[in-house]
Amino acid sequence: MKKTLRLSAPIIAACAAMSSAAGESIVVVSWGGSYEAAQRTAIFEPFAEYSGAMPAIRQHSGSVEEIRTRAEEESWDVIDMQEDHAITACEQGLLLDFDYRRIVSPYRDTRIEDDFVDGAFLDCAVAQNLYATVVAYNDSAFPGIKPSRINDFFDVENFPGMRALPKSPDAILEWALLAIGVPVRQVYDLLSTDRGLRLAFRKLDEIRDSIVWWTDISNAVRMLNDGSAAMASGFNGRFFSASHDSGAPITIIWDGRIIGYEVWAIVASTDQAKLAKEFVEFATSPVQLAKLSEIIPYGPARNSALLRVGKNSVSGTPMNEHLPNAPHHKGRAIIRDSAWYSNTAGLRQRRFDAWLKTK
Amino acid sequence: MNPIAKMHKGSALYRISVLSVMALLIGVSASLAAIAFADSVIWLNNALLISPRMRVQYAGSPYVVLAATLFAPIAGGIIVGLLLQKFTNARRPLGPADVIVATQMRLPLPDARSGIVSTMAAALSIGFGASVGQYGPMVYLGALIGSAAEKLKLRIRSISAIAMACGVAAAISTAFNAPIAGLVFAHEVILRHYSLQAFAPVTVASATGYVIANVMFDRPPLFLVEFPGVANSHEFLLFAMLGVIAALIAKIYMRFLLRSAEIAKKLAIPQWVKPGLAGLAVGVTALWLPDVIGIGKEALRFATIEGAFTPTELLVLVAAKIILTAVCLGFGFAGGVFSPALLIGILSGALFWNLLDGFQLLENSGIVVYAVCGMMAVTSPVIGAPLTTILIVFELTRNYDLTVAAMVAVVFSNLVSYRIFGRSLFDIQLAAKGVDLSTGRDHARLAAISVAKFATTDFPAASPDEPAQAALDRCPREQWNEIYVAGNNGDFHGIMYKSERFNDPNALVADVTRPATVIFDEETNVKQAMEKFIGFVGTAAPLVASDGRLLGVVTEADIFRAYLDTVQELRNEENASA
Repeated sequence: MKKTLRLSAPIIAACAAMSSAAGESIVVVSWGGSYEAAQRTAIFEPFAEYSGAMPAIRQHSGSVEEIRTRAEEESWDVIDMQEDHAITACEQGLLLDFDYRRIVSPYRDTRIEDDFVDGAFLDCAVAQNLYATVVAYNDSAFPGIKPSRINDFFDVENFPGMRALPKSPDAILEWALLAIGVPVRQVYDLLSTDRGLRLAFRKLDEIRDSIVWWTDISNAVRMLNDGSAAMASGFNGRFFSASHDSGAPITIIWDGRIIGYEVWAIVASTDQAKLAKEFVEFATSPVQLAKLSEIIPYGPARNSALLRVGKNSVSGTPMNEHLPNAPHHKGRAIIRDSAWYSNTAGLRQRRFDAWLKTK
Repeated sequence: MNPIAKMHKGSALYRISVLSVMALLIGVSASLAAIAFADSVIWLNNALLISPRMRVQYAGSPYVVLAATLFAPIAGGIIVGLLLQKFTNARRPLGPADVIVATQMRLPLPDARSGIVSTMAAALSIGFGASVGQYGPMVYLGALIGSAAEKLKLRIRSISAIAMACGVAAAISTAFNAPIAGLVFAHEVILRHYSLQAFAPVTVASATGYVIANVMFDRPPLFLVEFPGVANSHEFLLFAMLGVIAALIAKIYMRFLLRSAEIAKKLAIPQWVKPGLAGLAVGVTALWLPDVIGIGKEALRFATIEGAFTPTELLVLVAAKIILTAVCLGFGFAGGVFSPALLIGILSGALFWNLLDGFQLLENSGIVVYAVCGMMAVTSPVIGAPLTTILIVFELTRNYDLTVAAMVAVVFSNLVSYRIFGRSLFDIQLAAKGVDLSTGRDHARLAAISVAKFATTDFPAASPDEPAQAALDRCPREQWNEIYVAGNNGDFHGIMYKSERFNDPNALVADVTRPATVIFDEETNVKQAMEKFIGFVGTAAPLVASDGRLLGVVTEADIFRAYLDTVQELRNEENASA
């Protein structure tokens, strides 16, 4: 099995090399930090070998507005983004509308729809991996009983210390309702009502004085490390890298994890659509997805890749156990409703800003 | 009779296998139908922006939401009104009460087309946002599927009732993800007796519904709440008190439901317009109180969260929900009374806790247990099924402490409600239609048998103007003690007793005719006949038409036979093993 797959990569590579003029390079936009570093090893460098040119890498901070202001000027081609942002950007015509069947290649004779996770295909994007937004804590901040549930994030009495959060209504509203006791299945239903939002912000009031805001995702880890926060919200892969690669005393609370899809999309203003599509095909192949998961624990969006995830090549850690969709994680898991996220972004932001102003 | 049935008639093995296979098939179909029903409601709610989760995504275009809120219920009402008027024979939505009549009185359900159209009307009603419930229509749908078994001519006693009960059990089991409650509901509300012959297949159907909902479709439990336990023993008194209050609320709810139907009947506008009016009421109210539109799953959850509602909001919502549900159902939307009762109850329970906690008189274990007690204590008297409601709590919440607390509230609520209202809304609705189940199944069944069926025209008769002696001589028959006197045009005059002594040999029949002590008419049923026969001395009572003509006589022996047959039939049904 392995042999055939090993063989298939050079064959595709040969075809690709014929089809695209060697030396042409595309601009891929990602997130920087340990995630981008992992992508470099698992995707960008192999793609360079395969297509003949190393993609130029840029960073973005995730807002849809950035595509409007920077994409054309910096000639972006492919962009790694959150599903909900992709939905919004697609609706605003900032992304290239494509038929996933002409981009993603199937694994053997499995239908691609069966291979990928449910809802993996959008009008302008295709899911590549699953990440979890989680709370992590610094072990040394809690010498006695450790926090174990998302409720503990809101319990400053038993678990004192600063909480580091991004200045955004994402994730924190879901956690507030989970902490009140709302079942996972109803979280988005209740957040859709005015009453639900009020309850969530009321819960947030309980930790208002213990919040420090982070503006860049890499700050979350830094703040936990330097003790300026006892708990922080962030992505599971980054927290893993910090503790696994750098030995930081960071532990993830899996309860309340919010699982979202990370997607590949092509910017509407691209002048290299063909090569961009080839890149997306390459980046979503089972081999590349599994390789990425072996470096940073984001779960591959297709089953054929999930089955290939093995040990980290440096430390030998079995990476399956650290993926957000690993079956052994206990506690509650919310699958993020990206369409809802995208369509309510403005409303949630307004309510969040209003809450920030009240005191 | 079909060949297989003929071959094996009477064999226990035949009955067991047929009933089991039938239960399984009905269980699968009723369960899938219930899932399809629930899913189409959800689909409609999403498509029409009834569900908050969809509405909020259109918050940027407030006019779209406004239009959906106002016009979806109105449009739904008119569609439902037209459907029911044009395509059903009953010209009204069918529900659990019709199933109860069919099983108790051994009658067929209304025709299948009416049943299917009524079910569609119910799905549309809820889908378009009317304040009505979904479980009543599901019960009917289950029974409708079960009723198909009768057409197979399987020659098993009471198979029609058992098959309908199987469908009902599977539907409830699937809808609530509660197989035990499904089983008990079918017995407590539909069959109203426990026999092994019915129990076994109904259990199979209920379990099948559960397997389909849980294993094949992975439907999660409906109402998980966190509740660590009742902290203080005095709270059980509070639960009982809440039960009594809930009975009053249930009574108000049911009275409003009945009253609203009466008011709607008097309105001189086309029948199909009426649900549209109810839709207008829902839409306008929902502009101010969005919680009233649709099933209200969100409000149901909020009621278990401390501080989600203020006491005033709770009071307003309880009142609004009672009135709107009464208006919707009374004015002709199709749907059930159960889900609105759950919501009214849980809000009432939350209100009770708010007052209790506000005054800080007594320690309490938090809002959850009071909300759940209120929910079940209001619902139980409405459907007349205390045992089912207790089991539903258990299966919905999987929490033993909550179940015990709810049990206390439910029992007190039922006790009070039975006194001040009646066994259930269904029973009161049926009593209004002449099916009175309040004094037992035997009485109801006897009440459905007309004495006219037993009337004989072979009796000694005399004309008032003939000589009495001649009439006596003409009727020598030993078994008759009376001669029935009727004029030439058939008018009933009275009875001449054979034992009557008269001195004047020329006396006419008219001279010795006495008024009959017991007279039946075409409407008299066996139950009334039994009551009239108390203290009766004689052979038979005359059956007199409303225009005064003597139609025949009904003997005491025939009425006794009818009574014994009916009671025997019920005993057989109740004691039937496989």
